[in-house]
Parts: sequence; C-alpha cells; structure tokens
Amino acid sequence: MWFQIKIKSSLCPVYPGDHLIYKDYRGEADKDAVSIFYEMVTALSGDQPPVVMSHKDLNFIHVRQGGLYWVASTKTDASPFTIIEFLNRLAALTKDYCGSLCEKSVRMNFALIYELLDEMVDYGYIQTTSTDILKNFIQTEAVTSKPFSLFDLSNVGLFGAETQQSKVAPSAAATRPIMSHRSEQGGKNEIFVDVVERISVVIGSNGVLMKADVEGEIRVKCYLPTCSEMRIGLNEEFSIGKSQLRGYGMAVRVDECSFHQAVKLDEFDTYRILKVCPSQGEQTLMQYQLSDELPCAPPFRLFPTVEKDYGNRLLIFLKLRCDLPPKSTALNVSVTVPVPKSSLSLSQELSSPDQTADLQLKNKAILWSIPRFPGGAQLSALFKVEVPGLSSASLLEVGPVSMSFELPKHTCTGLQIRFLRLSPTHPGLSQRWVRYVTHSDSYTIRI
Amino acid sequence: MGHDDLKEMLDSNKDSLKLEAMKRIVAMIARGKNASDLFPAVVKNVACKNIEVKKLVYVYLVRYAEEQQDLALLSISTFQRGLKDPNQLIRASALRVLSSIRVTIIVPIMMLAIKEAASDMSPYVRKTAAHAIPKLYSLDPEQKDQLIEVIEKLLADKTTLVAGSVVMAFEEVCPERIDLIHKNYRKLCNLLIDVEEWGQVVIINMLTRYARTQFLNPNINEGGEKAFYGSDDEDDDDEEKKAEAAALAKRKPYVMDPDHRLLLRNTKPLLQSRNAAVVMAVAQLYFHLAPKAEVGVIAKALVRLMRSHSEVQYVVLQNVATMTIKRRGMFEPYLKSFYIRSTDPTQIKILKLEVLTNLANETNISTILREFQTYIKSMDKDFVAATIQAIGRCATNIGEVRDTCLNGLVQLLSNRDELVVAESVVVIKKLLQMQPEQHSDIIKHMAKLTDNIQVPMARASILWLIGEYCEHVPKIAPDVLRKMAKSFTNEEDIVKLQILNLAAKLYLTNSKQTKLLTQYVLNLAKYDQNYDIRDRARFIRQLIVPTDKSGALSKYAKKLFLALKPAPVLESPFKDRDHFQLGSLSHLLNAKAGGYQELPDWPESAPDPSVRNVEVKDSVRAGGTVTLRGRAPGGQACGVFLSSDQSSGEEQKRNRKVVKERRSGSESESEEESESESSESESESEEESESDTDIKKKKKTIAPSSSVRMYELLHRITGEGLAVEYCFSRQPFSPDPHMVAVQIQFTNNTSSETKSLHIEDPKLQSGMRIKEFPEIGQDFLLPAGESVNVVMGIDFCDSTQAANFQLCTHTRKFFVSIQPPVGELMVPAFLTENEFKKEQGQLMGMNEISEKLNLGEKCQSDHAIVERVTAKANLSRVPCGSEKENRFAGKTVSSGSLVLVTVARKEGGGAQLTVNCEKMVIGTMLVKDILQALTQ
Repeated sequence: MWFQIKIKSSLCPVYPGDHLIYKDYRGEADKDAVSIFYEMVTALSGDQPPVVMSHKDLNFIHVRQGGLYWVASTKTDASPFTIIEFLNRLAALTKDYCGSLCEKSVRMNFALIYELLDEMVDYGYIQTTSTDILKNFIQTEAVTSKPFSLFDLSNVGLFGAETQQSKVAPSAAATRPIMSHRSEQGGKNEIFVDVVERISVVIGSNGVLMKADVEGEIRVKCYLPTCSEMRIGLNEEFSIGKSQLRGYGMAVRVDECSFHQAVKLDEFDTYRILKVCPSQGEQTLMQYQLSDELPCAPPFRLFPTVEKDYGNRLLIFLKLRCDLPPKSTALNVSVTVPVPKSSLSLSQELSSPDQTADLQLKNKAILWSIPRFPGGAQLSALFKVEVPGLSSASLLEVGPVSMSFELPKHTCTGLQIRFLRLSPTHPGLSQRWVRYVTHSDSYTIRI
Repeated sequence: MGHDDLKEMLDSNKDSLKLEAMKRIVAMIARGKNASDLFPAVVKNVACKNIEVKKLVYVYLVRYAEEQQDLALLSISTFQRGLKDPNQLIRASALRVLSSIRVTIIVPIMMLAIKEAASDMSPYVRKTAAHAIPKLYSLDPEQKDQLIEVIEKLLADKTTLVAGSVVMAFEEVCPERIDLIHKNYRKLCNLLIDVEEWGQVVIINMLTRYARTQFLNPNINEGGEKAFYGSDDEDDDDEEKKAEAAALAKRKPYVMDPDHRLLLRNTKPLLQSRNAAVVMAVAQLYFHLAPKAEVGVIAKALVRLMRSHSEVQYVVLQNVATMTIKRRGMFEPYLKSFYIRSTDPTQIKILKLEVLTNLANETNISTILREFQTYIKSMDKDFVAATIQAIGRCATNIGEVRDTCLNGLVQLLSNRDELVVAESVVVIKKLLQMQPEQHSDIIKHMAKLTDNIQVPMARASILWLIGEYCEHVPKIAPDVLRKMAKSFTNEEDIVKLQILNLAAKLYLTNSKQTKLLTQYVLNLAKYDQNYDIRDRARFIRQLIVPTDKSGALSKYAKKLFLALKPAPVLESPFKDRDHFQLGSLSHLLNAKAGGYQELPDWPESAPDPSVRNVEVKDSVRAGGTVTLRGRAPGGQACGVFLSSDQSSGEEQKRNRKVVKERRSGSESESEEESESESSESESESEEESESDTDIKKKKKTIAPSSSVRMYELLHRITGEGLAVEYCFSRQPFSPDPHMVAVQIQFTNNTSSETKSLHIEDPKLQSGMRIKEFPEIGQDFLLPAGESVNVVMGIDFCDSTQAANFQLCTHTRKFFVSIQPPVGELMVPAFLTENEFKKEQGQLMGMNEISEKLNLGEKCQSDHAIVERVTAKANLSRVPCGSEKENRFAGKTVSSGSLVLVTVARKEGGGAQLTVNCEKMVIGTMLVKDILQALTQ
C-alpha cells in the first residue's frame, strides 16, 4: 500500500485554536500546516467538517474524540482507513495511559504522549499499537489530577435508599492511567466490566414499532498488572441468530455477535462463558447487534395531540409513558419536538418543577428535559406555541419527536453477566465491578 | 532563550536530574517550542548509561539532527557501538535513530548498518532494518539498487514480524519490481493471518495489485450475471454482452489459478478483523479480484463497520456508494442498515441517501420512498435538499414510480419552507423534461408559484419550463411574462436571463400577444448593469426581430430556441469512481493523490504461473543442496538435504539446470563454495535467530546437516533392498501448522525399479493425525540405486507415542512406526527477555521442573550449551542480560503450550536446569533429555 502516512500533526482543540501536540515524522509538512487546518475547520459551517480535506497537495484526515481534533496529514496516497483507525487507536491509548481523554489530561501529559507517538510510528510507518508492547518502551509516567468530583456521587440514589455504597464503583476509579508501576499507592487491582448498549428506535405515528436496533458491547478495563485468565459468564439462555433458541421462554437473543481476537470461546457454546486474559487498559471483548425486534416494549411511548387553538395558537399535548420495570429509572431524558418555522413564543404546563421546557428559536424546536423518570410512571406536558399565520398546513410541521436518555443498570436485550471469575484467584485484593447502561442512539417517534 | 537551568541539570552527574531535564525538554518539543539551542548539552548525554535518559535523548536527536548536522555527527559513533550491542532492543533503537538522522554524509554508514541488520539474528532488528530502507531511500535515491538487494533478501524472510515492514519498504522503494514478489507470493499469502494488523493492510493492498498483473479476470466469461445485478446503463450493457458473448465463443472456459484462489481463501477470515483498515483492505481485494458470485461476502463486514465511529462510517459509505453502482445486488439485503438516523452528521446522511438511491429498484422503491418522505421533515435543510434530489433520481431511474414521485414533489410545492419548494421545483423541472405533454397542469401549478417563490434558482427553473413548454400552456405563458416584465429590474441575474429566454420563445410562437412585451424586456435589458444580460439582449434582438439586414440565422431562430432538448441525466456522483482502487485516499478525494499506484487492468492472457513455484526443499535449506551435491552425492547423513529431484516436476528440473550452469560457468571450487555460502545464509536467516552471534561466526561447525539425526524406518535387508530413513527437519509443515514435519528418504538398493510408494492403514492413538506425502504415483519409478525425499506431517498430539502405519510399494507392505523424541514436538518461539520472565512467572509450581547437574567436560562454554540444547530440542534462544544464564523458548506443535528452558551455570562446572511447561509430561521428558545431553 502506498503507505506513507505521516501522522504529522496530532494537534488539538479548536476552541482556543492552538495545537496541543505536534509531531512531524518526515520533515515534509509546512510549518503552518496546523494553521491551515485550523482555518479550514473554522471556515466551514455545518455540524462536522469532512473527514478528509485537502489543501494543495496536503491532505488532512481527522477524527474527533474527547472534544479534541486528532489530525494526520499526508502528501501521498495512504489508506484513509489506516489513518483513521490509527488515530482512533491513538486516542484510545492516550486514554489508557493518561486515564481520561480531555484537553486537560493531554496538556498534563505532553511528554508521555510524544513518547507514545515516537514509539508507535517510525517515519510514518505504524510500528505497533498494542498496549502490552508499548508498555516496555514508555518511560514517562502519567500525571493525573484527582480533584474531588461531584460525579463521584452521581450514582448515589436519592435519600440513600438504594445506595449500597460498597457496591457502587465511583466513576473516577475507572479513569486513571494504567501505568502506575512506580507509584505503588495507586496500583489497586481492579477490573471493570461494562455492558453498554445503544438503542435506536423508530415508532410510527400509529404507535407501531417500525424499526428497532440495539447495538451492544462488553468492555473490560483492566488495571491488574498481570492478569491470569478471566471467565465471564453470560446468561445461560443467551442465543445468537433466529433459529437457535435455548431453554424455555425468556431467551436473551441477539442477531450477530463478534468477539475480540483474544477471547477464547471453547466454553461459549455450552456454558456461555467467555474466557480471556485481558491486557491492561480498555478492550471491547464482544460486540453484538439485535435488529428489528426487541425482547420487551420500547422504553418510552408517546401519546401526542396536536391541535389549532383559537387565534394563532398551536396546542401540543404530550403524554409520555416510561415502560421500564418499576425498579429502573431513566436519567437525563430530553424530548425534542420540532415546531413550525414561524413559531415565536412558548408557554408550558409541566407536571413537576424539576422538569424544564423551552423553545429553541435556532432549531425551531421545543426541548423538554426530564432529569429523572422512574419506570412505570407517566408524565404529561402541555405546550402552547404562538405561531403567526397559523394554517392547517402548519400542523404537519410538528414532529417527528426525538428523544435522548440514559438507562443505568438496564440492558435492552436482557444480557446479564452471571459471574466474573479470575482464575486462579489473584493474590491480593482484586475488586471486580460490573456495570450496565443503555444509551439512546436515535429514538424517533413520528407524529 | 536561556535554558540555563536545563543545561545545568543535563551537565550534572545525577541521572535523576538528567531525566527530569530531558522530560521537560521533550514536553517542550511536543508543544512545538523550539529547543534546538540545547542540542550541544543534550547530545553529550547520548552515551548515558541510564536507559530512560538515553531513550529521551534519542527522541530529541531525531527531532533536531537535521538542523544541527555537525553536532549530530558527534553522536554517530555511539550509535555504531549500539548496533553491536548484545541486547536486540538496543541494536534496533540504535538503527532506528541512526536512520532517522537526515544528514547525507552518513549515507554510507547507514547503508552498511542496514545491510548488517538485515541479517541480524533477531527478527525485531530485521524489522527495523526494513523500516530504515525507505528512510535512506528518501535521503539518497541513488542507493536504490543496493536497497533493492536488501529488500529482496528481507522478502525471503519467513518471520511474520518482518513481512509487513519489508512489504512497506518494497512499496515505497520499488513498487514496479513485481518480479521480486513471485517467489514470495505463496509464503506471504500463508503468513498473512499471523502478520500484525498494520502489516496486513499493506500486504493485502500490494497483493491486490500483484494479482491484477498475474491472474486472469475471473468475471471474463460471466456475461449473463450482469443483468442479474442490474446495471444502470442498458445500452452499454448490451454492447458489453455482445462483446462478452463473442469473447466467450473464443475463449476456453475460465479456470482460476490456484494461487489466485489461495489469496482469496487466505484473506477471507480477515474480514472478521477488529481493525477497520484490514476489513476494508480485504473488501477492496474481493471487489477488485473475486468472481462476482463471491463478492457478496464483504457486504456484511462493511455493514458491520458502519457501527463504528462516524469517521469510519464516512469512509466506509464512500466506498459502499461506489460499490453499489457496480454490484447493487450484494447490499440489497442490508437496505435497512442505510436508513438515516436523526443523530447522524449531515455528511453521513447525504452519503446514506446516495447509497439508498443506488440500491433502489422496482421491488424496494416503495419502502425507500416512504423512508424519504420522513426525511423531508428533518430540520437539517441541506439534508432535505439532498433527499429531494434523491427522489428525483429514483424517479428517473425507475420508470414505474415516476408519476408517484412527481406527485409527491408537487405536494412539496405547497410546503411552507421555501428551500424545500425551491429544491422541488428544480427537480420537477428535470423530471418534466422527460414527458412534458402529460403534465401541463403541473406546469400551470408552477406558474402560479412565481408569485411566492423568491429563491432565484427556482424562479429561473419555472420560467425556463414555461418558456420551453409554452405551447402546452398558451394562455398562462404571456401572463407570466407580463408579471416578470414588471419586476424585471429587481430580479437576480439568472432570473433575468430566463426572462429574456421566455420572451424570445414567446415572441417566436405567439408574437401577436407578446411582441410589445418582448420589446419592452429587451429594452430594459439593454441598459442592465450586467454585461452578460446586455449581450444576451442584443443577440436575441438580432436573431428574432426581423429587420432588413437580419442575417441568415434569423429564419432558423425558432429551431435554435425551441429545439428538442435532451432530458438531463441524473446520475450518481460516484459513477466511475471505481477506476481508483477502493479504500485509497485517491478514491476518497476523487483525484489522484501523490504516489498513487494505478490498479492495473487484467492481463489478456495469464503470465507464466510457474514463476511462483518455490522448490519444496528450498524451505529445507536450499543452500545445502549445492554444496553437498558437489561433495558426496547420495552421502548418507547429508542425503537429507538432497532435493527430491523427481518428486515435484518442473521446478526441480529448473533448479538442476541452474546448478549445471553454475558448474559449467565456474570451474574454480572456491567460487562455487562462496556462492553456496551466501545463499545459505540467506535461507537460514530465520534459523539463525535461534542461535547467538558467537555461534554465527562458527556456523560451519554446527552446520545444520550435522545437527539433524537420521533415524531408520526400514532397514534395507528387511525392506528387501528398499531402505527408508527419516529425520525431523524442524521446518514448519505448511499444510497444517499443528503437525510435525517428518522428512523421509527412500533409497532403492535393488537392481529393479520400485513403484507407487504410499502409506496405508495408519494405527494411531486417539487424536493423532497423519498427513501423508502425496503418493508418488503409478508412473513414478524409483530407479535402481537412486534415492528420493518426501515430507509428511504427523500430529503427535504433544505426546511421544509412536505413529504406526504400513508403508507400501507395488509389491510389498511393511509395518513401520515413527516415534518422536520429545525435543521434536516443539517449534521455536521468539520471546523477548521480558516476555520470557513474564511467561515464566505464570508457569510456576507444578509446571516447573528443576534439576542440578554437573556440566560435561566439553560443555563448559555458552556456545557448547546452546549447541547441545538446540540439537536436543527445537527451541530458540532468548536474549538474556545475565552472562551466566542461557534461556530457550519454544511452543509445542500441537497445542502451542509454551516450553521455557533455563540453564544457569554455576562456579565449578555445576549448573541448574529449569524447564517450565504447562504439559508436565513433556517437561519431565525434556529435562531428562537435556540433562543427558549436557552431562555427556
């Protein structure tokens, strides 16, 4: 392949417009390549600049992660996939080594990241991106700031009723660098297993589920310096594909499943056990998809009524029901309702004071936010929108409604981790955390 | 810019201060600050013993050497010393930094270093040598020829670590030398799955290009299939079919070259890779090389990539869009995956639309149109505009839905959003051009819109439509002109031009009603600010208004203005993109990027496939062949290395010819010797990695021939003249890596021929398997007095149980059995010192066996220990910091369990032998064997 990648500039965020880190591997880049890129990005409108941009004979390829732009530039025909994949890996490695991925952590770890870049790429050729190999070469240690964070308390339930402090991993625990071999105090033997699902749903105007899609993954973040084999047991009734049904009723089914190459599957077929020796850092062990049918009802249903009031007023009455089991709760729910272009103002009646709603003139939409939404509950809201020159055609401009939310401790496919064992049991204290979360990817309800 | 504090720290004696200073300097470089004035202070520390400091100094040197050439030269001698360091990591990093110093004076030093490193025993150093090649090439292109030699040598390397890097170097330095690949083609295909992921991408792309020059187009005879997948261009298709039919008549039926098949088969599993670049590389390989019926497999993998980051999605969709034009069928089952999500960024939405449009056909169009309808409600205006255009394209491509689409678009004309209306007008205009006569009511409807629509492009389109089809709307057209004449001065330029156009057309068809209006408009235009408009007005007046002097063109005015215009073709912007290799940057930009290698067309007739043949025994040390042949043909111990001249036909004959030529060419013995030596070291580069440098010097003494022991399988007396011996060649058994390769030598001591040698009725322990040598055949004769070598594979299941079977000739059957010594049940594993320690740490307790011993008299030196141990067991040496210790590593052939051996010497001839292995039986037996070897 015409593989002269020159990951030249790994520069960063656009807000202040300066670059954080820059490395030129071939001595070909102009000194002002960074500013050219910056100008090109800022000159563009729209939500995302094109992934590949060229300026004269210089091509820029970038990805965005952690609010930073990771940019590579090349003058020759390199495989764009390789570069994008590499930049993504670089971001992942930076996260592994620095603990978290943000401007601050990058700023504090210039030397470390520069050293990483130096080891990963030689004269534009990728040498290795494996955490395990790189660990042998990296000398610099990560610098982290551990300020007291309110996020640590985010998992604590109201009134402390549901909290079992001992069983809740503080979120900051999972955002520390993997390399702490020299400072002994930070080296806690912890392992995190996250089941993360993203759901995307389209519900038709008649309330029928038109499209449903769940993408999920099992992620492991490992802090054990040398990990022996880990065994992760999934639901026994877990099945892949349509034909294969196991047990009675309650099967947890996915359409497609792929595994990290390090996962041993010899016990998967019979016992649904994944065996893996995770290396330090973050890895995705398993990815799965479920399309077209959900094992349970979609988490939210909407009952909208849109009518013309007297004068130029539009009445939108929304009844929103959360179909989760009563123990679960949805967090940070927001509902976006597009309204006619000429809408001027909004008055609303909401069912509780912690909810908010406002009319966003820029997007011509009402944004209704609900910080906490318990399962089984039903909320309603009445919006009165002032629309000059309201006609019956305007009613058609309302919708489709889109929602975003977060469902902690819940998976839409029903996938659960039965057990998590390290064998042979690791000497010393090792803590194991299993977390579940479902995010909305795209949740659309047509009106 | 005084960095005095840093300089002071660098000059101090304390490593910790130096380290701190270097860290701060590297952080400065990373931020893009200039730290070049520190060069003298830093370069002094290049010889620093502390490895952390040393590394950071290297980082600094690479960055500033070019600017400070004179000072950089001071550090060269340090690197030269580093190149000879016993630690492979130091050798490699010295080479890496040396080759990164871009100073022309050191080109000869670099060249020498690369050449030496290319035959280093450590594959890691050889890999670094491969990386250094393009660096030197870009510094001094004059070195090309010499560098190609090194590349050629490294291409022959059999370790996966080197393969990816050397192919990168090949691609950069001499991509045109496709001939260098021939001999390595099959090896690269077979290694591919084990190469690290970034190397896989490079190799796959190179092999795609290679295959295009060496194999025939697999789709050459499949004219009929095209219709099945549906092509947008029917005329083209017909012609193509005819041409193909003609070709079909002429051509022999297509048979795929087995090497072509090998490539397709070995790349397919990589579609599961978690690296998007690898998946895409395989996908483009299949798209460009596979028979149509097989291309479908990549669709699923590509759809899977769409669940990745949005940047990956963007690039995948670009490629999918191109593929859907050529091969619509393969993505049809995944139609839903391309539905747009409200959270997609605009550029992804537009690409998905493109794909959906390409996938639309008679059966799925209604679903797609329903989906499109919901998109129109989106808030993203660019996306809505693109959707409307997509509807237009579906309507042109699929005749059945044209009216439905048109009706839908007309409904959009009453949308409150002006942009939606404007875009619809533009698309409707294009659609109406196809069948104007049936749609005069739509034209009327649009004429009414001129009162409301302000978007210039839409206004212009409406005016053009009315002018063009004024005969269908004879009453409305003059009225529209009247209104336009009134607002003329306030219109945009494109609208003004269309007003002029409309006026001219009406004047020609309906001059009674519009003569005065036209005059008025022309007069207004005469004084317009824009000279295009003034020009146009003057031109139209001359053409249509009859005067005395009016030229010859006037009578053709009507024909000129109202000629039948061909309907516009609405086609995909991705059409014809596939002449760029998919997955390349050029494809993404739709323009050639620098250094893009054109994907060649298939050859008319296949080049000679035999160029890829490699002598089977070549892999068993080709070098030996020549030497030994000279000395003692058929000699017992050396006979192993005789290539089996008869066993595999053509290439062997060629090989023999070469040997003959060499003989006739050079009479002198010594020359022949040296030649054989050089080829020996080449083919052995891998073998060497298991021994040490000092051994390398004395290579002659432990020439492989002496270290391999022959065992008897059939004595010539029991065999009635047929003698059979075997040995463990320690080569990977390529058809099945879990098998041990056993080389068998048949010697016919009778006076008659022996025919059809083969194996029958194997009696094996459960789990054991035999892959017998290909039967040499009925025609094959083992003439009296000759001998032949074959290789068979046995999976011993990591046990020393014997494999029993019958050896048959055309007349007799003999019961024989092969029992492997424990040392032959393993293959060398290449570990670094750290890896070794880590693995050893995990194989403690029951898995560790330790024995004390007294070294035999002849085994006191390192060299002797290494020799004895490697002779006993197929292990490779692991680099080791301590002088007292020798470490070896291997893996069992069948299950791949690690076998680690440590021999620690003690004062006074004593030693401690430690074996770590998960398989305790193997460990115990190995300890016994090695103990015996070392104490003798």
